[in-house]
Amino acid sequence: MRFFYPLLALLPLLSLCLAKESAHDELVRLASAGKGVINLDERTYNLLTTPKRTWSATVQLTAMDKRRRCAPCKDFFPSFTEVAKAWATVPSKDRDGHFFATLDFDNAMPVFQKLGLQSAPVVHVYPPTEGPRKPANGRTAYSTYDFAYGFEPAPLAEQLSNHTPVPIPYKAPIDWARWGTFGGIALLFATTLRFVAPILKSRWSWAAGTVLTSLVMTSGYMFTRIRNAPFTGGNGQWIAPGYQNQFGQETQVIAMIYGLLAAAFLMLTVVTPYTVSPKRQKAQVYLWSIVIFIMYSVLISLFKVKNRGYPFKLLL
Amino acid sequence: MTTKSAYLLADNVSPATVTNTSSLLRIIALALISGAAIASRLFAVINFESIIHEFDPWFNYRATRVLASQGFYAFWNWFDPTAWYPLGRVVGGTIYPGLMATSGVIYSVLHALNLPVDIRNICVLLAPGFSALTAWSTYMFTKEMKDESAGLLAAAFIGIVPGYISRSVAGSYDNEAIAIFLLMFTFFAWIKALKTGSAFFGTIAALFYFYMVAAWGMLSVFVFTLHKFSPRTLGGYAFITNMIPLHALALILMGRYSSRLYVGYSSWYAVGTLASMQVPFVGFQPVRTSEHMAALGVFGLLQIIAFAELVRSHVSSKQFQTLLFASVIGMGILGTLAIVGLTYKGWIAPWTGRFYSLWDTGYAKKYIPIIASVSEHQPTAWPSFFMDLQFLIFLFPAGVIMCFRQLRDEHVFVIIYAVVASYFAGVMVRLMLTLTPVVCVASAIAFSSLLDTYIDPTEPEIVEDSSTDVDAPQTEGSSNVAAPTPKKAKKAKDAAPLPSGPLSDIVSSVTAGSFKRGERPRGVFGLDTRLAVIVHAVGMLIFFVMHCTWVTANAYSSPSVVLSSQNPDGSQHIIDDFREAYYWLRQNTPEDAVVMSWWDYGYQIAGMADRPTLVDNNTWNNTHIATVGKAMSSSEEVAYPILRKHDVDYVLIIFGGLIGYSGDDINKFLWMVRIAQGVWPDEIQEPNYFTRTGEYRVDDAASATMKNSLMYKMSYYRFAELFGSNQAVDRVRGQQVPKTGPTLDYLDEAFTSENWIVRIYQVKKEDSLGRDLKSANAFAQGKKRKRTKPAPRRRAIQ
Repeated sequence: MRFFYPLLALLPLLSLCLAKESAHDELVRLASAGKGVINLDERTYNLLTTPKRTWSATVQLTAMDKRRRCAPCKDFFPSFTEVAKAWATVPSKDRDGHFFATLDFDNAMPVFQKLGLQSAPVVHVYPPTEGPRKPANGRTAYSTYDFAYGFEPAPLAEQLSNHTPVPIPYKAPIDWARWGTFGGIALLFATTLRFVAPILKSRWSWAAGTVLTSLVMTSGYMFTRIRNAPFTGGNGQWIAPGYQNQFGQETQVIAMIYGLLAAAFLMLTVVTPYTVSPKRQKAQVYLWSIVIFIMYSVLISLFKVKNRGYPFKLLL
Repeated sequence: MTTKSAYLLADNVSPATVTNTSSLLRIIALALISGAAIASRLFAVINFESIIHEFDPWFNYRATRVLASQGFYAFWNWFDPTAWYPLGRVVGGTIYPGLMATSGVIYSVLHALNLPVDIRNICVLLAPGFSALTAWSTYMFTKEMKDESAGLLAAAFIGIVPGYISRSVAGSYDNEAIAIFLLMFTFFAWIKALKTGSAFFGTIAALFYFYMVAAWGMLSVFVFTLHKFSPRTLGGYAFITNMIPLHALALILMGRYSSRLYVGYSSWYAVGTLASMQVPFVGFQPVRTSEHMAALGVFGLLQIIAFAELVRSHVSSKQFQTLLFASVIGMGILGTLAIVGLTYKGWIAPWTGRFYSLWDTGYAKKYIPIIASVSEHQPTAWPSFFMDLQFLIFLFPAGVIMCFRQLRDEHVFVIIYAVVASYFAGVMVRLMLTLTPVVCVASAIAFSSLLDTYIDPTEPEIVEDSSTDVDAPQTEGSSNVAAPTPKKAKKAKDAAPLPSGPLSDIVSSVTAGSFKRGERPRGVFGLDTRLAVIVHAVGMLIFFVMHCTWVTANAYSSPSVVLSSQNPDGSQHIIDDFREAYYWLRQNTPEDAVVMSWWDYGYQIAGMADRPTLVDNNTWNNTHIATVGKAMSSSEEVAYPILRKHDVDYVLIIFGGLIGYSGDDINKFLWMVRIAQGVWPDEIQEPNYFTRTGEYRVDDAASATMKNSLMYKMSYYRFAELFGSNQAVDRVRGQQVPKTGPTLDYLDEAFTSENWIVRIYQVKKEDSLGRDLKSANAFAQGKKRKRTKPAPRRRAIQ
């Protein structure tokens, strides 16, 4: 009996060794079957993330089923597949040291519960726990890909390359649509140059362009673009509360008010004096003055909405 | 031939008297404008005291003191061992000395005159003083665009407009204080050089350009130039160095090349570039980096065109054709080869990734969190534009249209400036400053045209054509629809007696700016119309002045070193925690005690407490900043070795939870995490600082990593005790803080200011018995060491 104990103790170890061999082989087989991406269920997930692993792995936890209504999952899925596909082109020596896998919520609910995940998609990177590629700092817990880098494949590949044996050879595909559009526009321009030339040479088309650009820019267009501000708020509200904030529609309204005020000034300065009939001229002068006064009041009242402490007001 | 006049003018005045009086009035007006510009910037001194504001000015002030007390050479060779401890900073070679040199010169001059003015007062009042000069140079610039009256209006506008005041109140001793004056004067000299073709003015422009580079940096140049240096000196000042080349290029493309342009540009570029290269921090950048390629390229283009013109005047036109053909191809090949070769050799870096950050606005956020973390670099929402420019913002497009009507060479400049500056101002709040001058100029042009039209007393003659003009525009309009575009213009020109309907009025009068001016009667009938418009205009001006006064007094005159709030009875309550804490440091700690804080407060600690700091607002070393970020965002056990290795004696944090000061370190904390993550992605991860649901919280629900971070612990240490049995509330975050606050084992609370804004902790020395401080503390408190779970041995960080 005494002799058996050490043997018995060895047994699980032995089987584990065997299992590990076969686990790796199984993963390699699954990866090549899935064109670089292993489609995980609970068992294979545990296999992949076994505490004794000589390989590293990137796992995408997602919920692609329609009922889950996970739009970001759908956005992210192709990027992940692209990167995994790029990894599949690496020579097998390095390729088999890192796996790409995807785990769907509906295939492995217990895993989501175990990890305590409330949202998807999530990308976990598991470093190897054994072998030469074991991290120097000894951290073997998974790390999470930070989606602040974006959903695109390029930053994903760049970030994941920190964890793979060799950098992921991801190259962004040539964006044919974009080049096509460029080419199309250039061609259109070249063919219609004869007709476009007078417009290009006219100072007034340039003037319109200049004024429109500065109007749009000074009404906070860049703010809405950089911050991805919504066009309107919910429940019909179109003025964003707060001084440092605005909605897309505000840009339009403000640009229109500025434009109208500027136009009224121009009318008074360059058009009205050429009117030859005194009566009509008088009507114009009063008309534009009133337009300026009213629009200016509207503008001030809008500004008061944004900046509540503002003490001045005109009409409204 | 007497013309009718709407009101009577004295006609017995000689022309000489008129000119003399008007020039006297102009001088008086300019003096008054200067007075107003200076006075409106003194709110800060009156409301608070004569104190340097904010952050960067404290460094400038400190450097100026060195310059004033030790002379220029000592300043030039100044190595500051107390900044960026333990690295130190070579100050002389890494700054733009223009600002300090200016104050130094003023200081010496005043002392030579036996006026013993304190250097601090010079620094505080430099910006208001230069704003008067800015008003004058804007007057000169606008005078070239239209006339003196527009110039005076522009000077008045820029004197009091909040967009410029925001960066030039008394005490904001920063580069911008003098840079706008230099900018406007450089532009004025350039326009003058272009108009007269004078190499003298070209050189003047170059000298002021050099001064500007020395003061504001080549920085000047682009959002991204200074990734490697500093987000503080970085700005999207792209167009400052590129405005003049852009203008020259536009003129060439418009077929307006002239020898005046050639002389003006060449003298500006050659002298200006050579001069700017004398600033050590600039060095060879002007010929090596992409930001300056435009200037260099236009310079080359001008040489080629000038040479072609020269050849053309000497050879027959057929020979010229062949010559031109051959030389264009030859030069194209040569130029490409040269650029490829130089890039290949690594001497120039024409199109690097940083070029894109200007256009791809997400770039900075993604790759350089330290830039995106600065609030001045946020995009601008429309209320900021209105707040800073008020009614000028909608006069501005009208002024641009007025420029298009005349479209002389100098008007092209204003137009380009308008487009470029409004784009940049939209991208970054800070660049509102560069938009402001052109807005003032353009709206002054529009406004003074309006006043010119309605003040002019001459009445036009009444033309009787009311019967014909009803149907005339209709027929004109209908025939135009069918006719193709080029013919339309011709036809409109050919139609000799222009019909005067409302529609054609607009078309013809807007387009007729340059031709057929004398043919049509122009003027205003009656006195009431004049009065209406002028009263309206004056009303707008008065409103503008009221607006500017209100904005300046309420929004832009806070030193931010001293805060103020209102007592319930309406009286002012001064919150002086910063200085209280800095003076505590100064008086109670050894002179070589190293203070760690987030980089925002580095300059203030150096300036007011005079203690060495780890990092400061000159953010040249990202790794060092990330080290501080890591120490702040890791647990005590991890942070302690970092603190000890950097000889940190005190840690200073800003905490606003008690009085609701929102610019505190907990609100900046995520940036510390992000910046640390950039360097140690394995150890610091941003998502760990959020709750499971992705919220940033400081109450019970906060994540464990958050609660264990040094920053959290230091902020809320003993905070709950302050509330006694009540629930402790963080007033900034509006969250309830846990009743049992964090404990500190490796740090001791050393000082907390009156309103808890500044908290200073002393770093404990290693335990004298060799225990780690945690168990030593536990022992001292009489707790039994738990046998079951031996503390893991800490590893030294690599």
